[in-house]
Amino acid sequence: MLSVNNLSIAYQTTQVLNEFDLSLATGDIFALTGDSGSGKSSALRFIAGLDEVQSGQVILDGKQLSSSGIHKIAPELREIGMVFQDYALFPHMNVQKNIAFGIHHLSNSEQKVRVEELLLMIGLEGFEKKYPHQLSGGEQQRVALARALAPSPKLLLLDEPFSSLDKNLQKQLVLQVRDIVKKTNVTSILVTHDKHEATIFADKVGVIENSQLTIS
Amino acid sequence: MEKNCLKSKIWTSVLALLVAMPIFVVALSWLFPERELWVHFSTVLLPSLISATVVLLIGVGLGVTLLGTILAYLVVMVEFPGRRWLEWALFLPFAIPAYVLAFVYLGVFDYSGYAQVWMREVLGLPGFDIRTGSWAVILTFVLVFYPYVYMMARASFKRQKINIIEAGQLLGASPLRVFFKISLPMARPAAAAGLLVTLMETLADFGVVSLFNFDTFTTAIYSAWGDFRSIEIAAQLASLLVLVAFLLIYFEKKARGQAKYYSNDVANKKPYRALGAAGWLISLFVFGVFMLSFAMPMLQLIIWGWTSVGEEWSVKYVDLIISTSVLTTSAALITVGIATILALPSRCKRSSPWIKGVISMATLGYALPGSIMTVGLLYGVNQVSAISVYFGGQSINHIIFGSIALLLFAYVSRFMAIGYSSIKASAEQIKPMFTQNAHLLGASRLRLILKIYLPMMTPGILAGGLLVAVDVMKELPATYLLRPFGWDTLAVQVYELSAEGLFERAAVPALIMVLLGAVLMLILQLLDKKSSKNF
Repeated sequence: MLSVNNLSIAYQTTQVLNEFDLSLATGDIFALTGDSGSGKSSALRFIAGLDEVQSGQVILDGKQLSSSGIHKIAPELREIGMVFQDYALFPHMNVQKNIAFGIHHLSNSEQKVRVEELLLMIGLEGFEKKYPHQLSGGEQQRVALARALAPSPKLLLLDEPFSSLDKNLQKQLVLQVRDIVKKTNVTSILVTHDKHEATIFADKVGVIENSQLTIS
Repeated sequence: MEKNCLKSKIWTSVLALLVAMPIFVVALSWLFPERELWVHFSTVLLPSLISATVVLLIGVGLGVTLLGTILAYLVVMVEFPGRRWLEWALFLPFAIPAYVLAFVYLGVFDYSGYAQVWMREVLGLPGFDIRTGSWAVILTFVLVFYPYVYMMARASFKRQKINIIEAGQLLGASPLRVFFKISLPMARPAAAAGLLVTLMETLADFGVVSLFNFDTFTTAIYSAWGDFRSIEIAAQLASLLVLVAFLLIYFEKKARGQAKYYSNDVANKKPYRALGAAGWLISLFVFGVFMLSFAMPMLQLIIWGWTSVGEEWSVKYVDLIISTSVLTTSAALITVGIATILALPSRCKRSSPWIKGVISMATLGYALPGSIMTVGLLYGVNQVSAISVYFGGQSINHIIFGSIALLLFAYVSRFMAIGYSSIKASAEQIKPMFTQNAHLLGASRLRLILKIYLPMMTPGILAGGLLVAVDVMKELPATYLLRPFGWDTLAVQVYELSAEGLFERAAVPALIMVLLGAVLMLILQLLDKKSSKNF
């Protein structure tokens, strides 16, 4: 279970987010929308531990990750998975190595089994040896999802993962990714500027307007 | 299109082969074998010299790779106290010629140097000979040459996308794992390019190894020429060096593979912040390297220079500075001009193995010791004269020997690689799509060059020119042997004084040189900052 309390973000003199509170139960799928510059991506990056903010507190499964806007726990120790807008696949590693990156503590055979299982789930069986530049945008996006899910994170963050795909593919993938997320029962937050996409994907949708969050 | 390619092929080939001429002359020397001398060299001298050279190359290679990449990673990826000014301060050792650092370290740590006297008399440690073994000479080379790897690795780290590193962090990778598994493999081609330059510089060095009495392959070349008066053997040995350079370039190309990214993503935000003790420890380490490679030697030079400036300074220094500046500027301009023509993007170049071949030959001079370049040139001119006389013409020796043209030729040939690689790197940033677009808009080749290629290559051209200028100013052997009467340079003055052990007095010209070099490096830094803002 995740709770974010009293999160405030300001860029120089402009207050973008004011006393943002959010609480999600395990398995909840939440979508956060708002105009660009509304601070939705910043909120996500703060939860992940990538940026520090004015003030705010993050607690995940009873563990305090950040308080007063300062990180107490480094991103690598948070057990949070993230899919970036540009996927951020490692260009010098093949699909197998990309997905296995976060589970290197497992034995080689266990890693292989896990990678196969994930590839099956995202419908890319047999893609182990391909490199990111050999994949289409949609395929890269699914590999990025598999990589984020491989270590079984406690929380999955998706930062505009569908925005660089074409419309048809977008619709198809939103549903597919939603199914995968449901199946793994991982608590998830999707950040998107597309309200329609948010409604299809999530159980709960939050909108940031005038630096306030309203949840519907 | 075919016709254009032929023209481009001829132009490029003539220029490139002209630059590569000394190498061919050196290779031609195999037509005149000297069997008896070869037996002597291959049984007595070469085995130990080759193993010493290999030890030196491995030591220096490991040292610069480790130091250069670690420093580059720290200044690009980690926020620590003092990072901003250390990031550019680490370039400063470029301004110190290797033989200057060598004579400073010798002066301080030699048996009678004050550091060792202090260690013996105050600490009671046993005395040691800094010239024994290879560690001191390796250390000196590492401190002088790490900036090559640092410079290239830093540029490469800066192009890495922050998202990629954050993805690694969120997948649970520690900073060390991110370094070894993500950042380092992506920066490997760049680090390898820096390593290649370092190894070639080390192979071609004469000043440092002779000051440390460390005999290498280059020593054999000098010995063949100086002791046995055999230009042929010297040239034959030098051609082996060219072969090694060929191999090094081949392996570097192979290591580089297809790893080429068109990415302008600059890591403006540091993924790591080292707070508290860790941050200060990193500062201390980086600062320590800066102290050892630049600040302390400089301080020593200033102390020596201060005590001897009254005795050493005279009007002749005005002449020394003028001739150094004239030679440096003209050599840099010519080199950059030719390198730009060779590096201009074109379809013909991309598709022709012949053009690629002649261009890589033109850049091989970097592995050739300056004096061998000289041998090649003198030998070549002599042969041309002989042919001319044979056909009833005149010898050109009296026009060419002792003229500034020959010296400039040697500089251009020797430092083409430096100018070319910098300009080529900026040419590679020009995406094919720009060219295609310009063609679609009806631009001629000339317009394409003037309006698109040259403006986009300007940062690389300026950087290449500055790097060549710094190297020309520091160049010693070719300058020493080929300078026309009355064209003494600062480098020659440093060498003549330090070879006699007059370290205090040698500090005066050395300081002027380092100062001029530092100004050039500073300009390079400013350009770098400006261009990283533009793109």
